[in-house]
This record gives sequence, structure tokens and C-alpha cells, in this order.
Amino acid sequence: VTAERPVVAVVAFPGSNDDRDAQHALRLLGAEAPAVWHTEEELPRGTAAVVLPGGFSYGDYLRCGAIARFSPVMRAVAAFAADGGLVVGICNGFQVLTEAGLVPGALRPNASLSFVCRDVDLSVERADTPFTSRCAVGDRLRIPVKHGEGCWYADPELLAELEASNQIVLRYAHGENPNGAVGDVAGVVNEHGNVLGLMPHPEHAVDALLGSVDGAAVLGSLVDAARLSSAALV
Amino acid sequence: VGRVVDLEVDAVDATEARSQVERMCEQLLANPLIETYTIELEDAVTVEAS
Repeated sequence: VTAERPVVAVVAFPGSNDDRDAQHALRLLGAEAPAVWHTEEELPRGTAAVVLPGGFSYGDYLRCGAIARFSPVMRAVAAFAADGGLVVGICNGFQVLTEAGLVPGALRPNASLSFVCRDVDLSVERADTPFTSRCAVGDRLRIPVKHGEGCWYADPELLAELEASNQIVLRYAHGENPNGAVGDVAGVVNEHGNVLGLMPHPEHAVDALLGSVDGAAVLGSLVDAARLSSAALV
Repeated sequence: VGRVVDLEVDAVDATEARSQVERMCEQLLANPLIETYTIELEDAVTVEAS
């Protein structure tokens, strides 16, 4: 393990199904991307960032993400995040992060009550995060969504707080909101800015053959930040 | 999304049973940001200590 190829651990829960895509994308972007099974109590040695992938952890029983939150690996992820470690939760991973209280808000069933699967345009609201450093504010990213419960919700008071503290990192572009999320929020960070949850799937948008490479802007930023934090550890 | 959850809990009395279920609701059964819940206690079954 060298700082050149930082370790970005990809957690797999029973029912995760985007973990392989996440590993593929991260490797393409220059990271080591070991899989970490949900029963693990520690993250791999030298882990510089963690990705919680999409899917249907524990069958989405009860509420999406509600059960995964109690898995052994999540104790390690929560401790890693509390130490300032970089964590990204994508789709079901976002749902797990909200249930674990690691990012604000909650994900409700889509306003349409239908599963949605299509490319959407996102607007980059902040470029000064470890997840968007390869972007500029106002950039539009075309990245697919595929979810049934992606309607991010915060009550007006919480939303106002998050707006004031600049925690909204990605929004659905005007007219693109696929799920009814309040404030058109597609991605939000925690108070310290080291944990990001987002509904769109950047790992599915890293190869021009599949329509868009805009996901590389997000995951590439993450790999850059992971490389910097690895270098600081060495 | 509404749901009804039936639970059997071991408790010394109704107060303890209710507080156990409240904890379960807060931590797992409901997400207080988007859901509310009510708890109804039904008939207790007393088990004699042997």
C-alpha cells in the first residue's frame, strides 16, 4: 500500500449490489478498493476512505438502511467518520448513513411512489469538499439515479440550518428532481464535511461507453482526497 | 408507510415493558424524523419463577 494508490474500502452488506461497480470505478480512478464484509469489526489497514454502496442491504426490511446501521462494520465506519475519515454513501449507502445519524435527513419513498431509473442532471453547489474538488460551483453533472426511496426529507427548520451551514453539496438541476426531495437535494454532507450521502450513482458514470463520465468527477475527487490523507499518514 | 408491529417482551412490569419498547421504537422500529408511533400494551402473561 502506497499513498499513490490510496485504500478506499467498499463495504458489502447482504443485499448490496453496486459494490463491484464501486470497486471497479475506484480502481479505474487510481485507488485500491478492497471489499469489506459487513461482519468485519475493523476496516482494512491503511483505509483512507470508505464507500457504502447501493443495493438493498438486509432486503430493505423495516426501512431502507435501518438494519444495516446495526451491522458490526458500521461501528468501525462510525468511529472512522468520527475521527474525520472520509465516508461516501451512495443510494442505499446514503440511506444507511441517514439511519446511522452520520448525515442529516431521511429518505422517503419517491413522491411518484414508483421506482425511478434514469440519468439526471445535477448542479454542483460546493467545490470545496473532498468529494467535489474536481468540480466548479455551478457545474452540471449527468449521473444516473435508480431508487424507490430517494426522496430526501428534512423539516423546514433542519433544511434552513443545512442551507445556512452550506451542507448541501449536490442538487438536482431545475426540473430534474426525480423523487420529490425537499430543496432538490441530491447530496448532503455532515456538519464536519467529511461524510457525504448522495442518491445518484457516480460509480455507474465513469465510462463513456455507458453514457457519461461525470461520476468520475465525484469519485475522482474522493480518490484525490484519500491520496492526500494517506500521504499525511505515511 | 404505516405498519403494526406485534412484540412479546420479557419485563417485570408494564412500566419496564413500555420503556423497552420505547427504546426499540427510537432506535430501530421508527425513524423519528419521518415517522411517529404509538405503543399499546396488551394483556400480560405472568410466568412463575421455578
